[in-house]
Amino acid sequence: MLHKRVDRRGALGMLLGGAVAGAQALGACAPLSAETDEEREVKLLAWREYIKGNYRFMTEAERAETIARLERLAELQRGVEVTIQSTGAQPGVLFGYAFNISKCKGFRRCVEACINENNLDRNADTQYIRIFEIEDGVVDLDKADATFQHEVPAEGHFYLGTQCFQCADPPCVKVCPVGATWQEPDGITVIDYDWCIGCRYCMAACPYWARRFNWAEPEVPPEEVNPNQHYLGNRARMKGRVEKCTFCIHRTRQGRLPACAEACPTGARVFGNLLDPDSEIRWVLANKRVFRLKEDLKTEPRFWYFSD
Amino acid sequence: MTSLRLDAAAWCLAAAWIASGCHAPDTKKATDLPRNVAGMPIDSATAARNATLEPGALATVQAVPVELWKGPGDRTFEVALRSAAPEAGHSRMFGTITLPIALRSRTAAISQYPCTSCHLGRKVVMANKRISDAHNNIQPVHPAQTGAVCSTCHSADDVQLLTLKSGERATLDESYRLCAQCHFPEAKAWAGGAHGKRLDGWQGRRVVMACADCHDPHKPAVQVRIPFRAPQIERPRGHYP
Repeated sequence: MLHKRVDRRGALGMLLGGAVAGAQALGACAPLSAETDEEREVKLLAWREYIKGNYRFMTEAERAETIARLERLAELQRGVEVTIQSTGAQPGVLFGYAFNISKCKGFRRCVEACINENNLDRNADTQYIRIFEIEDGVVDLDKADATFQHEVPAEGHFYLGTQCFQCADPPCVKVCPVGATWQEPDGITVIDYDWCIGCRYCMAACPYWARRFNWAEPEVPPEEVNPNQHYLGNRARMKGRVEKCTFCIHRTRQGRLPACAEACPTGARVFGNLLDPDSEIRWVLANKRVFRLKEDLKTEPRFWYFSD
Repeated sequence: MTSLRLDAAAWCLAAAWIASGCHAPDTKKATDLPRNVAGMPIDSATAARNATLEPGALATVQAVPVELWKGPGDRTFEVALRSAAPEAGHSRMFGTITLPIALRSRTAAISQYPCTSCHLGRKVVMANKRISDAHNNIQPVHPAQTGAVCSTCHSADDVQLLTLKSGERATLDESYRLCAQCHFPEAKAWAGGAHGKRLDGWQGRRVVMACADCHDPHKPAVQVRIPFRAPQIERPRGHYP
């Protein structure tokens, strides 16, 4: 063990991991200990999780280990069987999104699908997507209403949805003091929830209010947990961490549409590969009049709006 | 004024007819139908799989290639068969819930299908004034605007088929061939991907819905409904987005 090169974190993990295991062995001997085997396992797994590294710098083996631990923890702590992927970006793929403001009718079916697909906190009612109701002819989003609750589509109004735009030059990534958020090769900005310290700088930096903070431990009823998860996407989040839309990374990296695009009953959402000249998204960009929000900030969102 | 409008509508139809004649390289006879709705069986396993799609798996929607239109980059694409398989492309699973993904439910919309249960193979003389007798659920918009009658779209010989201006016939799943005769900008956007709805995946097979999967041809306006709940946490107005 000693002739192997270990970094500070690794050494700490080995030493204290050994201590935990030792304490467990002692506990096993003591007849008065009220701790069950499962509780001990949870403690050990939680400790190993605590001292693990940043996902970006993990080896494949380390990733497999942490995923196995997280899956076991989900089973022990929440009683749900989940599958956590670590699927990487497909080569030659850069995701882009287009939103048809003439088609959207404000039904918010995308929001409903998003909540269930991404295991969003039911207690605080976290929502990644916001649909704005805007009067015809108005271009100022300050005069929009995102809290409408009446029969839609309302006469003389149009609807515009926002979510994380997966900017090409994301200000949220620049300000993160610990490197817990970064842009993947396919353009998705992701968060390592275990590395996030909850400083919320990224939330202040985002000009689109796309990030959400977990003020309390997120709650999802075990029977409603989506078992199809991704390490950088919809796996269980913790209190004090920031989360956001990842274009449904667990679906889109497998060639499927994001939940919002698939659920949209009016076909207002177009999703695809920007690097494929024959994709639908490229057709929209080439043939429709498109715009983006706050273009002057030069964040270069990969999310365009267009109309018929 | 009314006669002027009717005149304009007639010109529009004529223009559409010319357009469809010019643009359609398809010179099939009315007799050799490409596909028959009734001849498209759907097994219950496929229907069930489409209704609740397993995570990570792309749907195997029953679809047929679109012949007259090409997608971006001259790629071919397919149109979902929904009258043969009303369940296909109707709902999908998000997390643990199943949501309908289409604007209208074809299953409910084609409650009087098959048409032959009443129209027993005889040549039907369809007059607009008789609509209320049997099809009182129909709120005709097209007839009022364009002077079209039932047989403008529906084949009088076989009511389960649509009739095109060229004399060709199309199945109910090929509504795009009928609608595109007048709505050509929409058809162009539909083939390109800006209009309509692609099913299941951004990669691989491109399967899209046909016109009548979202638009009720007899009642084209989008019906109002109560939206999903508004966000609890929201920025104050004036600080958007």
